[in-house]
Amino acid sequence: MKFVVSSTELLSHLQAISRVINNKNTVPILDNFLFDLKDHKLVLTASDLEVTMITSMDLENTEGEGIIALPSKILLETLKKFPEQPLNFDIDMETMAVNIITEKGKFSVVGQSGEDFPELPEVDQDKASRLQVGVDLLQSGINKTLFATADDELRPVMNGILVEMSPDNLTFVASDSHKLVRYQRFDARTDFSASFILPKKPAGLLKNVLPKQEGDVVIEFDDRNSIFILPNYKMVCRLVEGNYPSYNAVIPQVSPNKVIIDRVEFFNTLGRVSLFSNQASNLVKLKIENNEMNVSAQDIDFSISAFERLSCQYEGDEMEIGFKSNFLVEILDNIDSGDVVMELSDPSRAGILLPFENSENEQELMLLMPMMINV
Amino acid sequence: MRKIIHIDMDAFFASIEQRDHPELKGKPVAVGRSEERGVVAAASYEARKFGVRSAMPSKTARARCRHLIFMPPRFEVYKQVSNQIMAIFREYTDLVEPLSIDEAFLDVTVNKKDIPSATLIAREIKQRIVDTTQLTASAGISVNKFLAKVASDQLKPDGMFVITPGKVLPFIEQLPIEKFFGVGKKTAEKMHRLNIKNGKDLQQHDLPFLLHQFGKQGKYFYDIARGIDNRPVTPFRERKSVGIENTFLADLTTQPQITTELERLIEGLIKRMQKAAKKGRTLTLKVKYSNFEQITRSTTPGYFITSKIQLEMLAETLIKEADLSRPIRLLGLSLSNFPGDKPQDAIQLEINFPG
Repeated sequence: MKFVVSSTELLSHLQAISRVINNKNTVPILDNFLFDLKDHKLVLTASDLEVTMITSMDLENTEGEGIIALPSKILLETLKKFPEQPLNFDIDMETMAVNIITEKGKFSVVGQSGEDFPELPEVDQDKASRLQVGVDLLQSGINKTLFATADDELRPVMNGILVEMSPDNLTFVASDSHKLVRYQRFDARTDFSASFILPKKPAGLLKNVLPKQEGDVVIEFDDRNSIFILPNYKMVCRLVEGNYPSYNAVIPQVSPNKVIIDRVEFFNTLGRVSLFSNQASNLVKLKIENNEMNVSAQDIDFSISAFERLSCQYEGDEMEIGFKSNFLVEILDNIDSGDVVMELSDPSRAGILLPFENSENEQELMLLMPMMINV
Repeated sequence: MRKIIHIDMDAFFASIEQRDHPELKGKPVAVGRSEERGVVAAASYEARKFGVRSAMPSKTARARCRHLIFMPPRFEVYKQVSNQIMAIFREYTDLVEPLSIDEAFLDVTVNKKDIPSATLIAREIKQRIVDTTQLTASAGISVNKFLAKVASDQLKPDGMFVITPGKVLPFIEQLPIEKFFGVGKKTAEKMHRLNIKNGKDLQQHDLPFLLHQFGKQGKYFYDIARGIDNRPVTPFRERKSVGIENTFLADLTTQPQITTELERLIEGLIKRMQKAAKKGRTLTLKVKYSNFEQITRSTTPGYFITSKIQLEMLAETLIKEADLSRPIRLLGLSLSNFPGDKPQDAIQLEINFPG
């Protein structure tokens, strides 16, 4: 088969799906991109068995059809080094010899039979649920929650984002059991109730391609697999099986102490003060009283310490609570509002962080467990 | 002002062998296996004169001292004797902190026999050790652990050395840097590069400089240069790791051999973990190659390692990071980073999910 393709366009398509490919593959064929040419359409696939990403290009100049697997590393590296130009792919389907004829020369590789490429997992259409949402919505859901997922080999369900549909709202949840994020959208409801757990890796892949997409995403899933159909991509992935812990039960309903503080100011203060915290614990202490928050840290081993005072609005009793600064920073970084609300009950119970103002159709809640201060 | 005694048995293992085998008295003795791959666990003073040191390959030891007598180690016996001496210490105070099988710190500021002089206590203890075990010990007496430890090293064997509060600074000033407790070979080399040869040189440097050069240790060096060491004598020193290792009779060269030995180590480690009732966050693999070069690789997966399956999974990833094409002399696995033993000022709480 033969086809002519723009070098930069091919590169951008392959780069987007190449993040699926693992550095070390147990199955060697997975080091390849699958090229499938049919009716002037070139379909490109990358897979690691758990996740498969597919994209396609419409080509004017093609001859014949066929399926072949081409080595991903050398192809990508070469494409990156070409200035924009048409590339003539000339593939002998008998010998799998691939010649890429450029303006100045010829690059030859050998492909592998496309038949060896693993088959796509399928969603059982009889059991499948279907959801259609805007690209932006899915992007927000993933961006807001991905950072809070766990790396827990013992509890795989925690290593993904829970996506929960209901007639009331669409909810995204992630937790590594130190922090928990719940992001709800009221502008995406379904007439059924269902949920799935999207693993970290495909969530990260979506996070990467979604900004370049417009329109809607169609998500189809059964109890094992899901398909995300985007305008220019299709992603098929295996879901995390198992039950997500009942996260609502751990979110405190009432917290007597309430702080309202400028998010960016708080974020910047933490950035400075936390440099002086104990390197093992990263502890920062927040002492809150009379509309003032004192943010402090120290590392006794190196005889260093720091504090800054921030003004805030405070309703509640004088209190001191410790948090791991990097967790707090991550959370503040993932809230968009100008001011944040912090709801605290006592130094050993979960603190809740909320945007001061929610957009109309969304509600986000971040929960962070404190650190118990020794001494 | 505290009164701290450091007692250190003289050439412990070797002296026990000489005691139990009178024909060895006055002769160079090494405890350890003499064969090709053996290592010296302890050397008698007679052997030390020839440059024989513990942890030295037996082959090297033999080369330094042709008539060196190797005795196979009898750890049960050493442990028994250790128990005897620790029992003697506890007659004087409960604040006994064993540093190893044959040495300990004692805080005798307040003691069970109401003896006001730490020197008298040390003399009595030395005598009691001789009476009970026919072995000698060296004692160091001073106002803190660092000074007591350095003092016991002054007049070995069978010595006793006191650093009274008034003599602390002059003593430290003249003390060669490699004699400082906590200064190993590497640190000593670095100190010399910085032109620090003794306590007096060390005193010349300020805290920021030492922190910069030595990290956390810098604070310790800054303090001890001034004779300050406020660390208490703590009777129950929590163990920091549970481990197991094995030196092989023949180097491992093939993957199946390595896998088999790793499985054996895991079996052994899990038993030790159960016995010690320990779970840890970090697993460390130690690989010593046939040329004695040693590497360690560790992983901290973010949960407590408790089961055999976890050990197998983690050990498998760790071993991949080693160069397995080279002959391997020793493999070891250890678990560390136990709950609550990080030098942390706070503990991160976890969400308690129901069910």
